[in-house]
Amino acid sequence: MSLLSIRDLHATVGGNEILKGINLEIGPGEIHAVMGPNGSGKSTLSYVLAGREGYEVTRGTIAFKGKDLIDLAADERANEGVFLAFQYPVEVPGVVGMTFLREAYNAKLRYLGKQEIDAMEFLKFVRSRAKTLNMSDDMLKRAVNVGFSGGEKKRNEILQMAVLEPDLAILDETDSGLDIDALKLVSDGVNELRSENHSMLIITHYQRLLNYIQPDHVHVLAHGKIQRSGGKELALELEAKGYAEFSEEAA
Amino acid sequence: MALQPVAKLPFEGLIADARSHKLGKWHSKLSERALEQYAEIGWPGPKTESWKYTSLNKIASGTFSLAGEYSAIVPEDMIMPLTCPRVVLVNGVLNKELSNLEHLIGNLSITSLVDIEDHQKTFFDDLFKSEESKGDLPLTHLNTAILSDAVMLEITEGSKCELPLHIISIGSGNGITFAPRLIVNVGIGAKVDFIESHVGCSDSAYFSNSVTQLYLGDNSEVGHYKLQNDSRESSHISLTRAVIDDGASYDNFTMSVGAKLSRNEVRAHLKGSGVECCINGAYLGAADQHIDNTTFIEHQAEGSSSREVFKGVLDDTARGVFQGKILVHPEAQKTDGYQMNRAMLLSDKAEIDSKPELEIYADDVRCSHGATVGELEDELIFYLCARGIDRESARRMLIGAYISDAIDEVKNIDIRSSIQIVAENWLKQNLYEK
Ligand SMILES: Nc1ncnc2c1ncn2[C@@H]1O[C@H](COP(=O)(O)OP(=O)(O)OP(=O)(O)O)[C@@H](O)[C@H]1O
Ligand SMILES: [Mg+2]
Repeated sequence: MSLLSIRDLHATVGGNEILKGINLEIGPGEIHAVMGPNGSGKSTLSYVLAGREGYEVTRGTIAFKGKDLIDLAADERANEGVFLAFQYPVEVPGVVGMTFLREAYNAKLRYLGKQEIDAMEFLKFVRSRAKTLNMSDDMLKRAVNVGFSGGEKKRNEILQMAVLEPDLAILDETDSGLDIDALKLVSDGVNELRSENHSMLIITHYQRLLNYIQPDHVHVLAHGKIQRSGGKELALELEAKGYAEFSEEAA
Repeated sequence: MALQPVAKLPFEGLIADARSHKLGKWHSKLSERALEQYAEIGWPGPKTESWKYTSLNKIASGTFSLAGEYSAIVPEDMIMPLTCPRVVLVNGVLNKELSNLEHLIGNLSITSLVDIEDHQKTFFDDLFKSEESKGDLPLTHLNTAILSDAVMLEITEGSKCELPLHIISIGSGNGITFAPRLIVNVGIGAKVDFIESHVGCSDSAYFSNSVTQLYLGDNSEVGHYKLQNDSRESSHISLTRAVIDDGASYDNFTMSVGAKLSRNEVRAHLKGSGVECCINGAYLGAADQHIDNTTFIEHQAEGSSSREVFKGVLDDTARGVFQGKILVHPEAQKTDGYQMNRAMLLSDKAEIDSKPELEIYADDVRCSHGATVGELEDELIFYLCARGIDRESARRMLIGAYISDAIDEVKNIDIRSSIQIVAENWLKQNLYEK
């Protein structure tokens, strides 16, 4: 059975239909890459999956672990195991990184009917995860993302992913804006989580990331539809040829 | 029964009663003078500039009587949550049973007007006179005119008070008015932190017209923290006036959450040089609350600094007012002044009026001010929800963080945490999406 099963998904934003019939199956442990031109609906797809208000599903179904995702609120989806690493992570003034992580972690434990974690134990756990991403303690003491550089914000998203250990992580252009070393660190973070229980949907513009994180499937999203799917060689082909064949007319 | 003359001024009828009330002959003279001054200035109306955004019509047209009862149960869940010695006033009068003054150390003394003989009151006389020249404060004169008691704290020269002192003013009774009066005299080089909690019994609808006057001697250090949590049907109008001498530091913070109509007016007169003065505050308003913070900082001498940070959150049809004036005299060179008022509106019908005013007559000064109004961004809420935090908790966290920013200004760490708790409780009780 698929972990995530998207069937004929149509969605509108601000009255415009952006997703026009997406079909996508992600099995347990699989890594799927989604590529596609600017404005084709990649972030829209990620928001629809994460349950952002204003992104309205007009047709189709999304099943996650067999459950209908569309009826769940954003926080419930997160606690079910859907994680979105934002393309543009927001600054959260006044909310300390460590507190934020603990609130998120405990929210999930409560959702699952489990006991909240001991604060000291959690601190140790987060520190070890932060270390592998080369994030300082200082960054955890600061307000979430406030004053962080673009690359630091992206790393912070991956730290949150590493702490929350979601069943499905959607990474929306997490590689954009990362320097070469950070790209390596982030990829290591992703690969560490990679296992038969953790699937990923990686949105990217660059084939380079896929050298570090080997995808099982690559999809091309254009004009609100998946136009083509293939193996990792498809990314190489796109790198060489661009998206010309997926122009409006061709579609 | 004799016919009462028609009152020309609000509360004029009560003033005569007040004279025979508690304080005897000494007060009669003081009260007559105060009435004259009050009558001369008149009740603040819609044309009074400093009351432009806050209307006192409802108070003026209400029927009030003087309190007759001076005992109550301390509403423990409404006062600032902190364990320290207490001075409790009920309807403006010191209640010794409720106060626990036995823990006070020798260099801090508390005197109540009710307790002393008329001939001992001359010192108070001078203190009241010093307030009389204040032409634009009719309600201060009204306070003097209807006084039932006044409490004076004196901290002797050089003494450092370890524990803060908690002054609790309780309003109890429907349709009553009272005039808490607090005088704080801090000796040279002395150090003290004190708290004022203004609270009410259950749903009492009363009018508290409160005045606190402070004198800070050279190099003294004073933390003055106030919680306005009067009952939701009441009115709270207060004036805090601090006169500050050379090298002294004054840290003032007001947390306003209670009353239907409130005004927290703080006037700091920086008489000395090298003074450090902070007038900060936070306000949280819901339903039809009206919360006014009005400040006036007067730099009279060289090289002093003042800082003001106010932050507010307003929901439903709540209305906030911030008026902040900084006056820098020609002698006050090298003045450093900063003022910021930020408000977050949680509903379309909530409102904030902000009026900063700088009047600078010296040329070598650094003064800045700013004001912002914002709302809680959906994008932020979604970010927290996408991490598993439910919407209500997300809102609470974000608004809490917003208001903490102002609370962090409080220099006394224990009191800062207490104010934090007050804010968190407010958020738990008042914040739900309609
Ligand atoms: N609130 C909105 N109202 C109307 N149109 C919107 C709204 N938000 C997004 N869109 C449109 O939806 C389309 C898809 O946007 P989306 O952000 O999903 O693209 P993308 O594939 O992620 O692009 P990029 O590669 O640049 O990140 C764009 O044309 C965009 O302008
Ligand atoms: Mg995008």
